[in-house]
Amino acid sequence: MCNKKSLPAILVFTLLLTGLTACIGQESVPTTPPVADPPATVAPTPAPTPPAPNQTPEDPDPAEANRFEGLTGVVYVYMPSPPALAEKLAEGFTDLTGVEVRTFIGTTGEILARLEAEAANPIADVVVLASWSDGLSLRAGGQLLSHTPNGAELLHPGLVDSQNTLFGMSASAVGVVYNTLMIPDLSSTHSTTWEQLADDDFRDELAFPCPERSGSASDFLSGFIFDKGESEGWATWETMAEYGMIVPGANAAALESVITGARSILVAGVDWNAYAAINRGEPINFFYPAEGTVVNPRPAMILQTSNNLENAKAFLDYMLTDEAQQMIADVHLIPGRSDVLSTTRPNFNEMTVLNTDWYWMMEHSTEISQRFNALMGTN
Amino acid sequence: MSLLRVYSLSKKFRTYGAMLPICLVLLVFVIIPLIVIFTRAIIIDGSLDFSLLIKTVTDANNIKTITNTLLLGVAVVICSTLLAMPLAFLTVRTQIANKKWLDIILMIPFMTPPYIASMGWILFTQRRGLFQQMLPATGEISEKFFSFWGIVLIMSLHLFPFILAIMKNALLNIGASLEESASVFGGKFFYRLRRVTLPLIGGNYALGALLVFIRAISEYGTPATLGKRIGFSVFVTEIHHNATISPINFGAAASLSSILILICMMVWFVQNHVTAKSTYTLVGGKGTRPLYVKLKGSKTIAAWIYIVVLLVIAVGIPYFAVAITSLIRLRGFGMMSGNYTTDHYINLFVDNPRASQAFRNSIFLAFFAATISAMLGTAVATIIHHTKSRSRKIFHVLGLMPDMLPNIVLVIGIMIFWNSIFHLVPLYNSIWIMVLAFVTLFLPITVQYVVSSYSQIGESLIWAGKVFGGQPAYIFRRITLPLLLRGIFVGWMMTFIISFRELVAASIISPPNTLVVSTFIMREFEQGSVSAGMAMAVVSVVFTTGSLVFINWFLLRGIDGMKS
Repeated sequence: MCNKKSLPAILVFTLLLTGLTACIGQESVPTTPPVADPPATVAPTPAPTPPAPNQTPEDPDPAEANRFEGLTGVVYVYMPSPPALAEKLAEGFTDLTGVEVRTFIGTTGEILARLEAEAANPIADVVVLASWSDGLSLRAGGQLLSHTPNGAELLHPGLVDSQNTLFGMSASAVGVVYNTLMIPDLSSTHSTTWEQLADDDFRDELAFPCPERSGSASDFLSGFIFDKGESEGWATWETMAEYGMIVPGANAAALESVITGARSILVAGVDWNAYAAINRGEPINFFYPAEGTVVNPRPAMILQTSNNLENAKAFLDYMLTDEAQQMIADVHLIPGRSDVLSTTRPNFNEMTVLNTDWYWMMEHSTEISQRFNALMGTN
Repeated sequence: MSLLRVYSLSKKFRTYGAMLPICLVLLVFVIIPLIVIFTRAIIIDGSLDFSLLIKTVTDANNIKTITNTLLLGVAVVICSTLLAMPLAFLTVRTQIANKKWLDIILMIPFMTPPYIASMGWILFTQRRGLFQQMLPATGEISEKFFSFWGIVLIMSLHLFPFILAIMKNALLNIGASLEESASVFGGKFFYRLRRVTLPLIGGNYALGALLVFIRAISEYGTPATLGKRIGFSVFVTEIHHNATISPINFGAAASLSSILILICMMVWFVQNHVTAKSTYTLVGGKGTRPLYVKLKGSKTIAAWIYIVVLLVIAVGIPYFAVAITSLIRLRGFGMMSGNYTTDHYINLFVDNPRASQAFRNSIFLAFFAATISAMLGTAVATIIHHTKSRSRKIFHVLGLMPDMLPNIVLVIGIMIFWNSIFHLVPLYNSIWIMVLAFVTLFLPITVQYVVSSYSQIGESLIWAGKVFGGQPAYIFRRITLPLLLRGIFVGWMMTFIISFRELVAASIISPPNTLVVSTFIMREFEQGSVSAGMAMAVVSVVFTTGSLVFINWFLLRGIDGMKS
């Protein structure tokens, strides 16, 4: 195999060529994320059309039917789990408008990475994230379009940001998931505070979803640190790390480790996922520690760079319809609209929350997530 | 005179006319992505700047990653050698050589995608996993698998058939005469082994070890599944993390890729040196007589025990774990009567549009990648065969280069390059970028098969064609091509199967809305229903094995029939 000999030679040649291009200058690969523009360039907000009260899907108001007419083409929507919800929303929107929905379903970390990778040639029109603070940082980067969709006034107060760019169409919260075959009744002994779980009895029993992948875990973590303060907040996680807490992956992988009994307690498991597993009959249970949790609105946003703007606006309108809000409730998420209530889980106003500041969390969540993963020995 | 010149010029033009486009394709597919990586690593804001590269190399985390990677590579080479060596001896030098079916079964671990084997092992050994459910009395012993050595074992079980194949070929070429002459001069078994056999296979072994080392440090599936569970990061997972998890950092991904390329280069130099020093002419005009040792009684039993245990570990356990998991209804209750169902399989193709779409996407990708690289690979091999001197070497190297570099490196290069020229050629973010990546990555498969087919065609056949007045095109169509077809088809088939289940390229550059089988399995394993993912794994293994058998039986028979 004499030819293998020239392999290094060719590579050296490649390196030389590289050097040559270097001398010529010009970096030819502009895939870096755009420089943060001041978010001041906000388009004037069109006045929302007054909503027709008491719309029902069975009896569509003519006005409602109209606003989904005359659309063609495609819309690119990037959404976090559950995949079933993304598929149903896409299907419902296509049935209503004839517009094809191309979805990318990934964790919040993957969606953000995809947006960064596509900065040179943006694809996405609508982005939904499982993290409000990550949504705010997209806004701070000047990436979002200000546009108030029809029906946004029905959202819970606090689910629309000050610049009308983020709309919390749904929300989730995190709690504690435990395997009932291994610990029959954790909720009666350890449900007051999060810190209670940093217990020597639970050595090698704790798991936590990866905050660099899961938006709800990262928001909870930064919210918790904000509420408790740097030193007290980190002390809890340091103790848990000492007791062998692991980070098995994003939400589903973390939940899976508790379902199969690889671990018996998941700290900061996302609620809708746990409710769905309990409904299936898996041997787990779920509670929110009494001191409170972080309720995490899942913002839907239109990108400035959208190539299918009318379709994108219609998609946000669609997410606020009764039909779409019901789909959201069906997967055990909290519906964003105050007049649509979930019957299978606590609603928006029934949750006890920690003291949070989304702007502080936006600034610190990346760094907190990385520090957390380093602490747990995960990459 | 002038007529002759015109003739030779047109001939020259024809040769270069064929070579130039192929050369350009290889340049764009293989060389430019590599240049882009180096550029990206050392050119920052338009000027030469090594600080990022230096920062990457000296970063404490990355030093850990580099040591992890190198340790893993060395451990896998040692471990797969230990697994393969007794087998090579048994299947060449003893009566076990007659069991041809063993050769096929021993290829199964190599044909199993490592991420599927790794998931199987995780499901088998994790706490309250399948092993502990079957043998609760063993306590936590199976969890020991979640360690560096677990990763080494999974990867060695995947890669040992490589070393086995190379060692077997080397052993087959050492005729009985050599050993017998050593024995006549009084050499004892171990002396003969040390002074005759080992030096003779040394050169081949160095090549096998190099290939295994490069594959081990390029492997993504095992570190991404088992490695992630224990916080063991290697180059490939680090590069993948930088390229896919926010905040993404292509600069760091490119720097790490450059270092990885440099490591591969160094390994090539060492291997070249070793192989050049210890290459002996063993295949001469005289036929060689193989040397047989007839194993007796207890030794035969021991040999078979070794083979069976190896097969159980390499094939049995991972496939058992994957298959059982795909049949379990509620994961929380594990293996329990009444907790089995075939629903996951039914859902895969009835309820889950993403699953059937992923399956279709994979077939589409595999078909086009295999077909395009069969054509391109045949063209490259033809040029290699027909041209002399330097350009031949360059083509050979370019054609084989993707095989000598970690896949992820080329994929990152392809991604950055096509992303940056999106406005000129809008290929990025379409399914065709995946076809392009697969063609680039797997081109060497066809090149290798077709080059070896060419070397088997005797010149006399071509002369015969010429004597009977055949034009070059006619000779190619009626003599060369039919003889090459087998090589081309085998190359096509291998490319099809490997593209069908490829993971790392698919997880980095697949466009939105496009899941393939491997990313579907990975996604279900990590973010959805593990059972559904394992059902898909079973379906895809059955599908690839089925198409392999089908193509072997029907197509290759047809081709062979055409020849005679």
